[in-house]
Amino acid sequence: MSSRGGKQKKGNVTSEQEEEEQPLQAVLVADSFNRRFFPISKDQPRALLPLGNVAMIDYTLEFLTSTGVQETFVFCCWMSNKIKDHLLKSKWCRPTSPNVVHIITSDLYRSLGDVLRDVDAKNLVRNDFILVYGDVVSNIDVSQALQEHRHRRKVDKNISVMTMVFKESSPGHKTRCEEDDVIVAMDSKSKRVLHYQKTQGLKKLQFPMNIFQHGSDEFEIRHDLLDCHISICSPQVAELFTDNFDYQTRNDFVRGILVNEEILGNQIHLYVTQDGYGARVSNLQMYDSVSLDMVRRWVYPLTPEANFTDQQGQGCTHSRHNVYRGAEVSLGHGSQMEENVLIGRDTSIGANCHISNSVIGNNCTIGDNVVLDRAHMWNNVHVSSNVEIHQSVVCDGAVVKEAVRLNKQCVLAYNVVIGPNLSLPEGTVVSMHHPEEEEEDDDDEFLSDDQEVGHTFNPAEVGPEGKGYIWKASMNDTEDEELAQCLWAFQLEVLGTLQRGLEENIVCDNLVLEINSLKYAYNITLKEVMQILTRVVLEYPFQQQGTQLTTLQYTGSLLPLLKTWSPVFKNYIKRAQDHLDCLSAVEELFLEQDTHQTAMVKVLMKMYQLEILEEEAILKWFSTGATNDKSRQLRKNQGVSTTYRAYTEQQERHCVGKGIFFSMEGAVRRTSVCGTVRPVQTPGLNTEVFLSSSAPEVYPVVERSRG
Amino acid sequence: MPGADKETDLTERIEAFLADLKRGGSGTGPLRGSGEMARETTYLLRRITAQARWSSAGDLMEIIRNEGRRMTAAQPSETTVGNMVRRVLKIIREEYARSRGSSEETEQQESLHKLLTAGELSEENFRQHFVHLKANVIEAINELLTELDGTTDNIAMQALEHIHSNEVIMTVGRSRTVEAFLKDAARKRKFHVIVAECAPFCQGHEMATGLSKVGIETTVIADAAIFAVMSRVNKVIIGTQTVLANGGLRAVNGTHSVALAARHHSTPLIICAPMFKLSPQVFTTIFYPFPGSFSYCLPVLREILSKVNVHCPVFDYVPPELITLFISNIGGNAPSYIYRLMSELYHPEDHKL
Repeated sequence: MSSRGGKQKKGNVTSEQEEEEQPLQAVLVADSFNRRFFPISKDQPRALLPLGNVAMIDYTLEFLTSTGVQETFVFCCWMSNKIKDHLLKSKWCRPTSPNVVHIITSDLYRSLGDVLRDVDAKNLVRNDFILVYGDVVSNIDVSQALQEHRHRRKVDKNISVMTMVFKESSPGHKTRCEEDDVIVAMDSKSKRVLHYQKTQGLKKLQFPMNIFQHGSDEFEIRHDLLDCHISICSPQVAELFTDNFDYQTRNDFVRGILVNEEILGNQIHLYVTQDGYGARVSNLQMYDSVSLDMVRRWVYPLTPEANFTDQQGQGCTHSRHNVYRGAEVSLGHGSQMEENVLIGRDTSIGANCHISNSVIGNNCTIGDNVVLDRAHMWNNVHVSSNVEIHQSVVCDGAVVKEAVRLNKQCVLAYNVVIGPNLSLPEGTVVSMHHPEEEEEDDDDEFLSDDQEVGHTFNPAEVGPEGKGYIWKASMNDTEDEELAQCLWAFQLEVLGTLQRGLEENIVCDNLVLEINSLKYAYNITLKEVMQILTRVVLEYPFQQQGTQLTTLQYTGSLLPLLKTWSPVFKNYIKRAQDHLDCLSAVEELFLEQDTHQTAMVKVLMKMYQLEILEEEAILKWFSTGATNDKSRQLRKNQGVSTTYRAYTEQQERHCVGKGIFFSMEGAVRRTSVCGTVRPVQTPGLNTEVFLSSSAPEVYPVVERSRG
Repeated sequence: MPGADKETDLTERIEAFLADLKRGGSGTGPLRGSGEMARETTYLLRRITAQARWSSAGDLMEIIRNEGRRMTAAQPSETTVGNMVRRVLKIIREEYARSRGSSEETEQQESLHKLLTAGELSEENFRQHFVHLKANVIEAINELLTELDGTTDNIAMQALEHIHSNEVIMTVGRSRTVEAFLKDAARKRKFHVIVAECAPFCQGHEMATGLSKVGIETTVIADAAIFAVMSRVNKVIIGTQTVLANGGLRAVNGTHSVALAARHHSTPLIICAPMFKLSPQVFTTIFYPFPGSFSYCLPVLREILSKVNVHCPVFDYVPPELITLFISNIGGNAPSYIYRLMSELYHPEDHKL
């Protein structure tokens, strides 16, 4: 086996080294830890969903095997039995497989962090390993990146802990996942990551200046990178996850490493590949585009006809215009397969159908006069005549009756029946699981018949003969929403605590203690705690006495409260940044309550007098934060200017001069200045990069101005 | 149990070979070049002969045919693998016939009478057991391996007969055989080589660097300039991926246009192709594998890219009437003679595995 592994490497020298070293290991996380594929993933784990009629995890394992990985640990949590069954049946678990697959299951994994902590606890990895998710589709040859990584580790004495693999692709490319859109600042020579940030649709991003102040004098800020979600990690990564139990995702990890770089001395590097394909199927949009890329042969040699899983009867033939046909496919008279069509075995298609850019699974029946465009149909789907399906996913066993039209981005989950004579609006999700069922215990995987009777199907939604429930929640319920929910719950708790504190006259120290414990319970950052605290306190009079208060009444009841709780505030507001965050929370609240804007100056005054806020912070907030008309109006109204203008312009300038990286959230988000990508650099000030979505990209190298 | 060990070892090797094939033939995967592919296949077949369990030639042929079918299915664009399987099958037939004492000539001869009576006796005949058959077959496969090792040299040796002083030679892309051929000629003669770069993979650049290193005067031209330059060319010498049964070629994309340009200017078109590239396939459908995800070298197309289909055919079919001469390791042949070589190399029953 070693000779085979060596052959893939360039040159004999490396292959000799290779032999001396231990086998290359990989950690494959076969769980997404999110609900992007709900309700589909309620019946089948994401890693087993078919992409081009092959389970996604097979692509990942093939990728790992072809890069020379000899030992893979597959970690499963959600529906681990199914994944295990699948793997045991596949070619990966045959004794002849060059890649030994170990399956590790636990119901306790809640995030990538948990998995890596387990890797560390069980001491599974001995050397550098590759970390991927079970839904990564790639043909990138990582051996080059691996060599660079090992070389760096040898030279720099284990400073580099991780090498992330990126693929060069322009912004707006359809295989770029919007959620994962990143902007990276890197050192051109050493390929070291200096700053890593998800753009999250922001047009303007700010970089801390200090990242450009050491290292070499050539930097690149790149927005043309597609995160392949493949990382080469050293064993330290697992240890670091153990040490920092609040790391949940790789994103947390990367940010943590970059922030603590000075202290811990760990570095992260990146490897950019021009050719090759790598993408993670992280949501349904990505599923759509990766599936089509597969059919269009971007992932060569992982093409549908290659049958790399070695399964019986999976083979298909490839003909012009990327039309693939499995065994025993029958096609009716006058039916056209225009381009990029993959049809699984034993599927029959009726007469006069138009099929383009679609993947159809095994054992499907399709009636006459059917139009399929960008349809992803899995196995055993039954489609009657005169049906139109556009850009939708139809899961195993679903039945689409006569004259149904599925508009864009519909999802029919397992065994749903739709129709006849119905048009599903854009973005409809239909599942056999009732949406409310979700609240019930998750262990109850199998839906018993009694429960099904409990809810009745709505014929207006799924058609007269239909079976299934519409899921109101859009399929992209994002982490943000989950987070927002979490914050909301936290806010209620804080409110309760303060109320009780007031009623029972609890000492402020104890209140702080209680809030701190809540912070950990809800896993919320300090900044959010402070913002929520500010908000709760300021809203307290409204809570108690209704929203009909006059401004005078409001301030009258609020100011004593502020005085009572000032020790709580002081506990949380310490650094300059905290002051600004607190101020922005105050600003946000008063922007909402615009009838009480005049009260703001009093609140600020009181907070200043109670020494909750420093004057410097208020000044700084005042001079830099105005970002839209409303907030400008706010500032004008409340005469803070007249109160504090006296504190000389000089001081003001001093504050601005210091201003490095002050506000990523809130204020900046509202600005939308747009042009070409250009780093605006004023010595000693912020470095701003403007992102545009229309102009061609120029990725200039920011050179540090010396002197 | 040592026997079982051997068995698993063998299947492991076969699986590994299959996986390598799937990860890309055509010079992109771990196996580079069809010469190496042919050798690897033959090594593996020798191993199967030595280690698999069989008692008669019929069993062995069945085993090899089965494995051969899997190997060819793993990488349909690589015909060399199938060719080597056919060669080995032919070897087994010959050795069996020799052991039985019948002359292979009569076996080989096709006649109307044989065509009518054929079929029922074909497989029956291979059931007899011979003690030395295994050793003989392995011996013959070893001979095949030495032949494979010498192919490039054998072809290169003929270079001086075809290349004369101060000639201008054109070639396309990169072929190891042609490179060796030209380098051999360069030891005695002085000539000029024009290399078409063969976009988008531009193997021609590699070829040109290789040639200029040994002091051959080399010019790289864009593919579009082939016709324009052809009038100055004395000979076109190219390699090929496969020689088809009708004497046509399946060669790197762009070869057809070179062949047509050469015909227009009546320039001789010489093909350097070792015998193992000779395939009993006939041109049926258009060959359509597109290796390569070179898509991303398209300039910024943004959203449009999702509506764009990028097709990158890798092989051209060149009809036999455009070809002047084949130079193989056993000498020069006209395209019309290919059928004869075919019947010498492969048994007609093995054409379809």
